[in-house]
Amino acid sequence: MDYIKEKAPPVREERLRACNAYGGSCGNLVEKSKKGCLNGIKRKFSQTQGCQLNLSLAIINTIRDAVVIVHGPVGCGGASLAQAGVNKGFQKLRDSNARGLIWVNTNMGENEVVQGGESRLRDAILHAEKEFRPSAIIIVNSCVPAIIGDDIDGVVEQAQKEVKAKIVPVHCEGFKTKIMASAYDAVYHGILRNLIPHEKIIQDEKTELETLQEKYRASRTVNVLNVSSMSRIDEYELVRLLKAIDLELNILPCYAHPDDFQKATEAALNVSICATHDDYFVEHLKEKYGIPFILRTIPIGVQYTNRWILDIAKFFGAEEAAQRFIDQEVKQLEEAIAPFRDIFKGKRVLIGGGEIRVVANAELLHYLGFEIIGLRAYHYDQFADEMLGEQDIIKQIPFNVATGQPFEQANLNHNLKPDLYVGHVNTNVWAAKQGIPVIPLFHQSQLFLGYTGIYEFARRLARILRNPSFNRNLKDNVHLPYFEEWYDKDAFSYIDESELQA
Amino acid sequence: MSNFIDRPRYLCTMGGAVSTLKALPRAISIIHAAAGCGGNFGNALNGAAGYLGSGYCAGQALPSSNVFERDIVFGGEERLEEQIASTLEIVDGDLYFVVTGCMVDIIGDDAVSVARRFNQQGKPVFAAETGGFKGNAYTGYDIVLSTLFRDFVEKRPVKNKKIVNLFGLVPIQDVFWKGNLNVLKDLIQKLGYKVNTFFGEGETIENLKQAGEAHLNIVVSDVYGVKSAKIFEEVHGVPYIVANLPIGPAGTKEFLETVGKALGVDELLISTVIAEEKARYYSYVERLADVYNDLDFQRYSVVVADANYAPALTRFIADDLGWLPELVVITDLLSEDEEKLVAKKFTTFSSGVIPKVVFDTDTSNVSKHFNKAWPRNNNNRYFNAFSPAFVFGSSLDREFSDSLGAAHLSVSYPISNRVVLDRAYLGYSGSLRLIEDVIGLLVGSR
Repeated sequence: MDYIKEKAPPVREERLRACNAYGGSCGNLVEKSKKGCLNGIKRKFSQTQGCQLNLSLAIINTIRDAVVIVHGPVGCGGASLAQAGVNKGFQKLRDSNARGLIWVNTNMGENEVVQGGESRLRDAILHAEKEFRPSAIIIVNSCVPAIIGDDIDGVVEQAQKEVKAKIVPVHCEGFKTKIMASAYDAVYHGILRNLIPHEKIIQDEKTELETLQEKYRASRTVNVLNVSSMSRIDEYELVRLLKAIDLELNILPCYAHPDDFQKATEAALNVSICATHDDYFVEHLKEKYGIPFILRTIPIGVQYTNRWILDIAKFFGAEEAAQRFIDQEVKQLEEAIAPFRDIFKGKRVLIGGGEIRVVANAELLHYLGFEIIGLRAYHYDQFADEMLGEQDIIKQIPFNVATGQPFEQANLNHNLKPDLYVGHVNTNVWAAKQGIPVIPLFHQSQLFLGYTGIYEFARRLARILRNPSFNRNLKDNVHLPYFEEWYDKDAFSYIDESELQA
Repeated sequence: MSNFIDRPRYLCTMGGAVSTLKALPRAISIIHAAAGCGGNFGNALNGAAGYLGSGYCAGQALPSSNVFERDIVFGGEERLEEQIASTLEIVDGDLYFVVTGCMVDIIGDDAVSVARRFNQQGKPVFAAETGGFKGNAYTGYDIVLSTLFRDFVEKRPVKNKKIVNLFGLVPIQDVFWKGNLNVLKDLIQKLGYKVNTFFGEGETIENLKQAGEAHLNIVVSDVYGVKSAKIFEEVHGVPYIVANLPIGPAGTKEFLETVGKALGVDELLISTVIAEEKARYYSYVERLADVYNDLDFQRYSVVVADANYAPALTRFIADDLGWLPELVVITDLLSEDEEKLVAKKFTTFSSGVIPKVVFDTDTSNVSKHFNKAWPRNNNNRYFNAFSPAFVFGSSLDREFSDSLGAAHLSVSYPISNRVVLDRAYLGYSGSLRLIEDVIGLLVGSR
């Protein structure tokens, strides 16, 4: 893969033939995905979702010592208003001096739509430099400058000569794609082009011993690619898992400092916890710097945590040590989980969120004793085929691919009547109003990953199930905005396959 | 005038339109825009608005045409028509309102005509062009209101002398709008009038539909809702007055007198209402006479707020609370005339306090204005410090507040560090809540 010479990456409809509209069985989905025939399905009724720009900000807003410039009308990036406070707290978990989220909006009005917004962008860059002296200035480009033809790369090239901060343009115009996850490629594209040196930096002169020590250290260092929905304690758990096989971690890209990306080229291996998040980045690092990668699974649940560790151990020839560690961990975990199993036994659950996480949670919740009755994913692509295809127990259950689309979720919940909903932020409210107990699929202050994550998740589940009165009361007192007839229809009846591209 | 903005405290025109519709009972927004616009609003109208939540049909439930590249090339009207039809099938609302985003406005989709076709078939579907580049959220509020006043409110040639409408308090942008409207309705009811506010507790879309029978429109803002009031007058022949947004006894007295006079209410009734309310207010405030004086609870203050709240709040702080507001930063995008109108309000405080007032949209400029307003300590042994201090602002102003070592209360949008339900800060009763919150912070560590 090498798109790095291009100013912008291709969108995922083109690159991965990803889809965000589907309703059918899990088995059928995997089959269709493998044949590559999911692209082009649409909806006759749709609800809002997110765009590449929103999701790009989810990563970019975490980068420390950076100023974000949203190039567009004043509302673009407005979601950051809700993030500024909590974001600072999370940055401080990595660096107590962190400044938190600072952004500037270029406030394009009618004049700029007619005359172009390039000078406004330039002013914003110079302001960001002068006012905040950040290490990086990251520009997210919105729909309007894209359609009126602002040459943001030209502006950046000129401004970079005058500005010390590294300027990173990110081409994430919302209207270009329906697959919100294209954002990951857009952000990594900007990072690869602007924060990672094109050639290896020549180090100062070092003694032979120092060079050897550094080489050894690099040979035992892996880049672990985090996601913005992870917590700091999730990261500590991953550090613990890989320390067991004597590895050092360089954690990127979320909450990293712009300079940390330089180090990314020195690691022995890139490890992803979410293939659909990272494939663009690791493929390019392999292509350009020869760094191999592992992009297979997410360390959620016993089966996938074991696999995640073993895949990495295999690369370093440490399988035996890893297996010993795993056996010990699993044994201890089993004992710890045992008291909860009766509470979970036979309870029916519907899971919604990012594809990889949802499929891994199906395995985890099955392990804990739940019956999985439906899955929903924000989008679907080839990266979930292995994990979804191998879970025989869920082959026949419905899989709904939908970025949000709470009307389909409400229909499924109404008709399947789960005892628990495990869901993505902003989807949980709708299940709650249907009276269903809810546990968030992720939470930026809670532990989900690795073996301790399984225990903590189980502990929280038992707590939430113990008294779901809050949601039960909601059901009796508030209504979802859909006509009763909607619940009599098939949940997928507004999904239109007529223009399916084979 | 306009430039880039360091952390703007409002969404775009469409964001303001969607938030206005979100606050209107059983009104359904249909977004004709790219897929992310609504999703972006979702967080700004929940987590940044005192945890308002997704509402009846907002958040991720917002119907949206989600047009993308192909629709932008070939035009999105067909997709919009499909979306309106399917929304009417699935979503249960009393009123459907199509709002448009930048892209479809730029390519010239005629959403208003598409909506009109549904309207002509008897469906309550309305539309306005609300492309984000037209202005900020306040612009969106006025566009939605004036469209509804023109197209939805029924013509009533015969007026009811006992009914008034009240607007200008921008829902969500005033995070306390719902509680505040309760207070204002209650005050005017005491003068003997029924009040439609369209967004208030217990109101339905019928209150809006019947609003044409009102005798007077009361706009509680110098700048917001005024355009809509003019259109209302043009279409329905209802005159309007601008009344001050009242916080505390001083401001509320003026409000009641202004409104009472415009409605021709008996002066004795007005003064009785004022006297009763004030007596109640002081029966509570009297309790603080001890602690205020024992612990010296006078504070220097900075106010960072919008054009509606800043004058009302500052007046309360100066004239009722007896504090010293030294600097006021108004963060809205205003025209020069509007700035003059708003600035005038700070020159007539009965306490004689005259704060420095600046108009600046940029968050990081607040501290610069402060440095100009109050000298720095250049290592002087004796220094008249800005201390003790209190900052009234949004959650974005905490950092500035920390830099002063001041206490901070979020009262203006965005508010992400408080939960707001039916709390009100207006009138006599609301200012008691404000005092509880403010003095509550001062005793919080005891």
